[in-house]
Amino acid sequence: MTDSIVTGMLVCVALNDKAQLAALEPELHEAPYQKPPTQPVLYFKPRNTFNVAGATVAWPEHGEEFVVGASLGLVIGKPTCRVSEAEALDYVAGYTLVHDFSLPETSYYRPDIKGKCLDGSAPVGPVVVPGEQVDNFHRLTLVTTINGEPRSELNMADLQRGAAELLSTISYIMTLNPGDVIATGFRGERVPVKPGDIVESSIEGLLALSNTVGEQP
Amino acid sequence: MSGRKAAMKRARVLYQEQELDITIDDQGQLLTADGQTLNEADVTWLCPVKEPGTIFALGLNYADHVAELSFKEPPKEPLVFIKGSNTLTGHKQPCYRPDNVEFQHYECELVAVIGKEGKNIKREEAMDYIAGYTVCNDFAIRDYLENYYRPNLRVKSRDGLCPIGPWVIDKDDVKDVNNLRLITRVNGEVTQEGNTADMIFDIPFLVEYLSRIMTLKPGDMIATGTPEGVVDMQPGDVVECEIEGVACLQNTIVSEQAFYGDKY
Repeated sequence: MTDSIVTGMLVCVALNDKAQLAALEPELHEAPYQKPPTQPVLYFKPRNTFNVAGATVAWPEHGEEFVVGASLGLVIGKPTCRVSEAEALDYVAGYTLVHDFSLPETSYYRPDIKGKCLDGSAPVGPVVVPGEQVDNFHRLTLVTTINGEPRSELNMADLQRGAAELLSTISYIMTLNPGDVIATGFRGERVPVKPGDIVESSIEGLLALSNTVGEQP
Repeated sequence: MSGRKAAMKRARVLYQEQELDITIDDQGQLLTADGQTLNEADVTWLCPVKEPGTIFALGLNYADHVAELSFKEPPKEPLVFIKGSNTLTGHKQPCYRPDNVEFQHYECELVAVIGKEGKNIKREEAMDYIAGYTVCNDFAIRDYLENYYRPNLRVKSRDGLCPIGPWVIDKDDVKDVNNLRLITRVNGEVTQEGNTADMIFDIPFLVEYLSRIMTLKPGDMIATGTPEGVVDMQPGDVVECEIEGVACLQNTIVSEQAFYGDKY
């Protein structure tokens, strides 16, 4: 998609939902994980996944089940290299929403290329809301509805690591540039969707990202 | 003129603050599009792929490396991970060793560069989608491994820790991509030797496998994994990754402070 808000990298944070981490706690001490993550758990949605608000997201060619998660997206505004948590959000041009459509995830042990890299599976949008227009976004609530029915709710306070901490940590691994987007975290429990469903995620008064699930091929 | 035609090697360099597409002839001369010869000392080598797309890399794709890392049997499916474009840098550029780590190693890898868009590409047609080949050094910092999306981004997506090049050689100029010697030297001493014949999942398999999942596009790259023989690297070390008939990529290790300078 040439008109995606993402023009560089789309980096997503998994396992950043406090409730999910608490529920998984015993399992994370066992094989293959051995111990809970000490660092943010990151994955890429590569460029073939980039998509836009309003787009129909194709049903997976080789899947019976399809799920979606929603995240707040930080749109990077200037080169971001090794920034502190205190200054991190100064590098953000604004906020947007990210839908991550994927196959259901059964393990976090290996990179999930098969599940996460489907064409067009990462709509981002609909717009970038400048940071100064967002008041105390740490308390924002992101609600996802399917065909108008509320199905998932994520308050930014439910995230294990907040936006500033994540951006700082990531900026010590990789230098980020304008057009890169960080999806800060999803509800651990992804929402199953069916062909034809309308998925809308919104932060009241600020952003609403709507997509339709494509028909089964 | 008689004999075979010169192999086509394409690179990108920074010369007098301009990014140039150049070719390298069989004498190793650097030629601009308008026929000017450049002195290598005057250029900075860049990633040879002009608009780099998705960078796929393979873990555990050589039977001997799998054994070295103490896995009991070869994998049934490829272990594929994605690297960020921030990792790319050119031939002879510095690569850094993070402070306070115990084990950072090189990984000399053959890279297939995609030249044509495709989805659901059959193994038999896979080579039609390859533009050419290059070499990358897919550095890893083992200290940072965690068992979540392993190998995780902290290990494999660090700034400038995937040097690549110096050039892309056209596919037709590599006789048998499944039988290429691969040699790594540290400070001139051979530390890793292998052959692409020992890849568990070959390039046609990987093109078929990935394109079944997603659309491959020109500029996407597949780094095909490394054989056994990885050793620790320290600032000051010069590492050369060579794949016979493709390219020899050289980089020097520097400290984190030297690499980041003012940003350190």
